Amino acid sequence: MISTMEEKPHIPAAPRKRRVPGWAVAMLGVAGAIALLSITSMQTGFPQLTSSGTTQTAVRLGLPILLAGLGGLWAERAGVVNIGLEGMMIMGTWGAAWAGYQWGPWAAVVAAVVFGSLGGLLHAIATVTFGVNHIVSGVAINLLGAGLTKYLSTLVFFPLSNNPRQSPPVQPFDTYSAGGLADWLGELEAGQRLFISDVAGILRGLVTGVSPLTMLAILLLPLSYYLLWRTRFGLRLRSVGENPHAADSLGVKVYFHKYVAVIVSGGLAGLGGAALVLNPGQLSYLEGQTGGRGYIGLAAMIFGNWRPGGLLGGAALFGYADGLQLRSGGETVLALVYGVVLLLGVIVVWQLIRRKWFSAAAAIFVAVLMYLLYISLDEIPSEFVSYAPHMVTLAVLAVASQRLRMPAADGVVYRRG
Amino acid sequence: MSSSTSVGTDEHPAVVLTGITKRFPGVVANSDVHLTVRRGEVHALCGENGAGKSTLMKILYGMQPPDEGTIEVNGEQVRFRTPSDAIKAGIGMVHQHFMLADNLTVQENVVLGAEAMHGIGKKARARIIELSGKTGLNVDPGVLVEQLGVADRQRVEILKVLYRGAKVIILDEPTAVLVPQEVNELFDTVRGMQEQGYTFLFISHKLDEVRAIADSVTVIRRGTTVGSADPKTVSSRQLAEMMVGSELPSPETRESTVTDTVVLDVKGLKLMTPDGSRPILDDVDMVVRSGEVVGIAGVEGNGQTELVETIMGMRKAGSGTITLQDRDVTKLGTLARREAGIGYVPEDRHRHGLLLTQPLWYNRILGYQTRKPTARGVWLDTDGAKKDTERIVADFDVRTPGIDVPAAALSGGNQQKLVVGRELSGDPVLLIASHPTRGVDVGAQALIWDEIKRARAAGLAVLLISADLDELIGLSDTIKVMLRGRLVADADPNTVTPEDLGSAMTGAGSTSAAVQETSVVEEGEH
Repeated sequence: MISTMEEKPHIPAAPRKRRVPGWAVAMLGVAGAIALLSITSMQTGFPQLTSSGTTQTAVRLGLPILLAGLGGLWAERAGVVNIGLEGMMIMGTWGAAWAGYQWGPWAAVVAAVVFGSLGGLLHAIATVTFGVNHIVSGVAINLLGAGLTKYLSTLVFFPLSNNPRQSPPVQPFDTYSAGGLADWLGELEAGQRLFISDVAGILRGLVTGVSPLTMLAILLLPLSYYLLWRTRFGLRLRSVGENPHAADSLGVKVYFHKYVAVIVSGGLAGLGGAALVLNPGQLSYLEGQTGGRGYIGLAAMIFGNWRPGGLLGGAALFGYADGLQLRSGGETVLALVYGVVLLLGVIVVWQLIRRKWFSAAAAIFVAVLMYLLYISLDEIPSEFVSYAPHMVTLAVLAVASQRLRMPAADGVVYRRG
Repeated sequence: MSSSTSVGTDEHPAVVLTGITKRFPGVVANSDVHLTVRRGEVHALCGENGAGKSTLMKILYGMQPPDEGTIEVNGEQVRFRTPSDAIKAGIGMVHQHFMLADNLTVQENVVLGAEAMHGIGKKARARIIELSGKTGLNVDPGVLVEQLGVADRQRVEILKVLYRGAKVIILDEPTAVLVPQEVNELFDTVRGMQEQGYTFLFISHKLDEVRAIADSVTVIRRGTTVGSADPKTVSSRQLAEMMVGSELPSPETRESTVTDTVVLDVKGLKLMTPDGSRPILDDVDMVVRSGEVVGIAGVEGNGQTELVETIMGMRKAGSGTITLQDRDVTKLGTLARREAGIGYVPEDRHRHGLLLTQPLWYNRILGYQTRKPTARGVWLDTDGAKKDTERIVADFDVRTPGIDVPAAALSGGNQQKLVVGRELSGDPVLLIASHPTRGVDVGAQALIWDEIKRARAAGLAVLLISADLDELIGLSDTIKVMLRGRLVADADPNTVTPEDLGSAMTGAGSTSAAVQETSVVEEGEH
């Protein structure tokens, strides 16, 4: 009686392409990215591109972005645009430092979540209860976060550290490494063989010096997926972001779900702040420490098409760009430009196959431009290097944002009745 | 059907509304409404838009509390605070504007809010598949709702209500979005379910349909029930007069005013989907002459919207030319085309016709921001705009407390009268009217018809797109049938029936001499 997908009489004629499962796309993407980096590092002679050190730094720097993006995912799936992630993250960094120097790293984590959640609560009160425009409220929270922490640091940290912009050092987490595995991978990496050494380098970076916070963050990703897509609560939360009127007409408590989502969102952004403070390279609160990572997290989520898997990809990309510039400087970032040229070459072929002449021509143009940049420079000027993640964000969003689909009622103020 | 009318009188009625009154600031939406729905019947509630049907149903469905009056369900008095209370009492509602989340699957939409019944997994899926048969829904529950057509979406809405165990189902203008064949299918579904003991409250202002499906009819006018009727003995005309409280309009145009002057000439118009895989408009040729109304019939989604938007310059044609009064406008922008003399009544007045939060006079300026009387040189002429809005309000009988109220404060019919009035000012040579009376009450409908007829008699060329086939047949001098982006058939409005048109629209081939196919549609081409 019930037929399958083939029989849909009212759907306008257009044969459905066979769906490739999401995990397969993800695996292909990862494999492609590694292959690209490996060829680039061979061609340009920069093994740092896939070294374990770079990967390790990328993980540490990608973590705050991942957490902020996850926060964005929660809020936006419930229909609240959360541009205030940055501000909530700043509150998280202050909270983490304040609790961290007194009671240790776990207290730092808890305090960061609490401080971030307070920011989320404020955003929820403004946008959900009072119907303030989501962007306006978010920007206000960013300003508030920066101002409030400046005030509080002067008040609390200055007497201790003699610096109003910095907290006393925070006690770090113990880190863990997969001993034997890491050593074996280290040997492989040192072998300098194409692909194998690259894969080994990346894997070694992933299993060395892992802090409990990293594990927690990585676990939060599948957990969020499970909660949002596989439970009754998640279905209700997402329905609120897609069509709150429909949800309301079915007895879903729209305001409640939006509140929960935005508070969780703030908590996750705050946790991202803790990841910054507890980063082994820094281990204290610093004014301006977030450096726009809340926004980049939001961008990672948009890049990931409001899905957890894509969000992980976005966070990895931005974390990698950040890690590479911090670790190896201008020369290697320039090598990355070479990688982009290779990637564009693949895109050109793909667009030609699809007979998208305009896109192909545009890709060729950019590729030529990038290649000229690559051969004419010895290294990217240091002024630009530190902006590598921001530039990657900009470029990726400009290219990728055309086929994205946000929740239908995202950013729309909902009024009952 | 007649068997179901003999419901035992000793049982309690399914729903009884007594003395319902609901006031909003400034208006009384319902005053002293009485309504009795017996168990197992299809009870129609008729009334003009703005008569208070929707408010009444919102009260019955728990979305708004009544100020006065009582609700009884199965003989027990109830108070609904939220829709969940109504659902628990066995009342379900299928909204006119579908309450579906497009980006969620059929299953997710159905189980939302009722997850406690069968969870959200396999058990729920099995239950949905079991219930789909009753509604005639024939798709996998895992399909996204955005992939479904209008009729299937409506089935999903009915399914939602069934899943929650509703016994009384409110259908709010369910046929407004359907073509005749789909309406018949819906009625078959309703009758089938009626036999299984379901009760329907059928809200409509399409009286032929009411008479075809209902066992009893209650008429509501200006917020209060004015009487009931037996649909088997009452005529559509009598019913309509009860609704309006006066004489009735008809879309019929009498004598032809068609001239030889070509106003709009469309040649070889083509438009592809954004990904370039498939044509939306395929070689459309069309001529509209001065004093002529050309009607386009077609199932929604076959390119009518895109045709209109391409002629208006809102979409860029892939190839082909559009000529307006011997002037090639193909390369002009929308504003320039409007200035060249095209008036446009968009199909969705909320999205394209009006700024709902802005006052009426401000809405008068839209599209006329470069022309008198709403502009003087580069400056807007607010005084002129206000004065001209007063004229429209008076001439087109827009019922409003003033021209400074936001457009959202007006009922749908009055908003539409304002839009039509605006688009007929500034002496257009061509009027494009997309569904000009959709969701509009009988009074406003009559006025809009009259205005179109008057402008046509004065030499206006009109391109009319409508899903209301009676309107299309009544107003048009020529009817063209659109299917999959092509004009596939011409029909003579003097002889064609809605059923003939309907089968031509679905590509079933013409069954009547009144419909002549102009080109062969290859099946399975795409």
